[in-house]
Amino acid sequence: MEQLMIELNPQTTQPVVQVKNLAKAYGSNVVLRDVSLSVAEGSVTAMIGPSGAGKSTVLRCMNLLEQPDSGEIVINGHCINAGKKTSPKSLAALRRSAGMVFQHFNLFPHMTVLRNVSLPQERVLGCSREQANEKSMELLKRMGLADKADQYPSRCSGGQQQRIAIARALALGPRVMLFDEPTSALDPEVGVEVLEVMKELASTGMTMVVVTHEMAFAENVADELVVMADGGIIEKGHPGQILKDPQHERTRRFLRAVLER
Amino acid sequence: MEMLKAIAIGLPLTVLVTILALMIGTVVALPIVAGLRSRNRLIWLMSRGLVDLLRGIPPVVWLFMLYYGISIGAVRLSALQAGVLGLGVVAAAYLAEIFRGAISAVPKGQWEASSALGFHRATVWTRIVGPQTARAAIPAYTTFAIGLLKDSSIASTIGVSEIVFMSSQYARQSGSGILVFFVAAGIYILLSVPLGLLSRHLDVKMRKAVAR
Amino acid sequence: MNNLVDVAIEYGPTLLGGLKVSLTLTILSLALGLPIGLLFSFGVTAKNKAFRYISVFFVEVGRGAPALVLLQLMYYGLPNANLTLSSMASACLALTWTTAAYSAELIRGGMQSVPSGEIEGSHALGMSYRDCLRFVVIPQGLRIALPSLMGFAVLLFQATSLAYSVAVPELMSQAYSIGSSTFQYLPVFIVAGLLYAAISIPATWLSVGAERLLSRHL
Repeated sequence: MEQLMIELNPQTTQPVVQVKNLAKAYGSNVVLRDVSLSVAEGSVTAMIGPSGAGKSTVLRCMNLLEQPDSGEIVINGHCINAGKKTSPKSLAALRRSAGMVFQHFNLFPHMTVLRNVSLPQERVLGCSREQANEKSMELLKRMGLADKADQYPSRCSGGQQQRIAIARALALGPRVMLFDEPTSALDPEVGVEVLEVMKELASTGMTMVVVTHEMAFAENVADELVVMADGGIIEKGHPGQILKDPQHERTRRFLRAVLER
Repeated sequence: MEMLKAIAIGLPLTVLVTILALMIGTVVALPIVAGLRSRNRLIWLMSRGLVDLLRGIPPVVWLFMLYYGISIGAVRLSALQAGVLGLGVVAAAYLAEIFRGAISAVPKGQWEASSALGFHRATVWTRIVGPQTARAAIPAYTTFAIGLLKDSSIASTIGVSEIVFMSSQYARQSGSGILVFFVAAGIYILLSVPLGLLSRHLDVKMRKAVAR
Repeated sequence: MNNLVDVAIEYGPTLLGGLKVSLTLTILSLALGLPIGLLFSFGVTAKNKAFRYISVFFVEVGRGAPALVLLQLMYYGLPNANLTLSSMASACLALTWTTAAYSAELIRGGMQSVPSGEIEGSHALGMSYRDCLRFVVIPQGLRIALPSLMGFAVLLFQATSLAYSVAVPELMSQAYSIGSSTFQYLPVFIVAGLLYAAISIPATWLSVGAERLLSRHL
């Protein structure tokens, strides 16, 4: 198993996200073996690979929804070391820098759409209700969902709910947005709405890490493609290059299955 | 301890009342479930009304009605008979609902497959749906049985010498106050442990049998 | 049947007075017991040993002991510890304990049923543990537990009938004293039973309706 360490040509200064030697196992089941990667500012990184490869686990370790067994994570200068204890303050700071969008949206069903987007701003950033609502409406307008502000999430379609979830994460002003299979739970037609939003977000210069099965997105929007299998990164590089000419047999096998269904 | 012995004398009747009431309840529940699942409007209405009435009136009222209120000539029900009958009939109503829920928990596909295979109604019940219903009903059934164990204490109000009767008698005679009641409570809690374990054991066993 | 109507007319007011006491006892026990139950629902899994042991004790005894035992404990037992309460207060204390114990488990079950994705969502947003509890877990948990809590309230109302044994002048004890003085046991108990049913049955339908309503939105 090759272990690649990316040497980034820094576009600005430091990479926004750095993952160093991440490892995680559930009992005897090793999920991550010595994973390292860097994400440059303003870049879009797509992570692909077969199920169980560890892609989601890496993402979830980035904001510590999963606790890695060993390794280091640095986001926007905030450093978390798996060996040492993390103070609640640094954990909170790290989570504020990284916005996450989940496969199943995870909106709060007992609050209106507006409250879903505003509450985190009030509680995490300490904004006043007026400030939060103003920002929320601005974001919802950008998504074309301003008219849904006073409705409950259950009344919105899946695509709308996911866009609301994206607005909720953006409202906190993160440095990087983490997407965990954002369109996997959506119909293909509906998924397009969400991918459009993600494309627009990328064009504004937001740093993004996207775990996805959407090959078109990976090819057309991503600047960097990371292929994972069996808990490790097997290929890293330019999407067009990898998809056209994969170096690794495993990658070839995976792409064959995905692209020639 | 003297106290423990005095209270434990009530143990056999507590267990007897619980088991008899449970048996009566289980048997009487069957026709009631049939009525609840009937497509005949009148039968369904009567079954529904019966269940609602039995569950809507506190057990103590039923027991008092049977013990003080019923007399055929000079013959009246004994305290034990009234207690078991009253609790049994109320149990029937609760168990009918539990069984009804368990039956609807059996996937529709089982019925469809059975009729496609040409089974008789009776066979479908005894071989296919029945066993699956029993499995689905076990958790609620044992939870109810534990509840019935505690409700058997209501029989003390009409004079059945079970645990609560004996413990309040002891309390009155010895004046040792608080401890008696905690001991009585403790006995009930201890009695419910084997039932809980049995329920978990049966559940695991049956799950293994249908594991895919 | 004539008997029944006569009895109903003659003793109706007395029985209704008893019903009022039963309802008062039910509502008081719910009002006091539910908040304590919410507290215990956290207590049984608390890190603080003292809090946990106390919570587990109260919940296990409150659920494991028949209501009759708790009633007698409060009314006949406490005086031995130099704490003599009125019959209403003892009954209320006992039923509050029962309510707190059962509702602790029902609420805990409700909170555990809150989809973990929502909790992850709030963590990912950087919301504090306390905020997550306050805005996501508790409101959702209570909502989920509501139908079973309503079902419990009906059972509690029926349990107040046992308070006659500690001299509370509720419906059952009124019925019994009328019965024992007139020997018209059956008609009186039938009327009393119907009064209980008149409250229990609609309340049960309400809780079934609530369950249906809730499963639609969540």
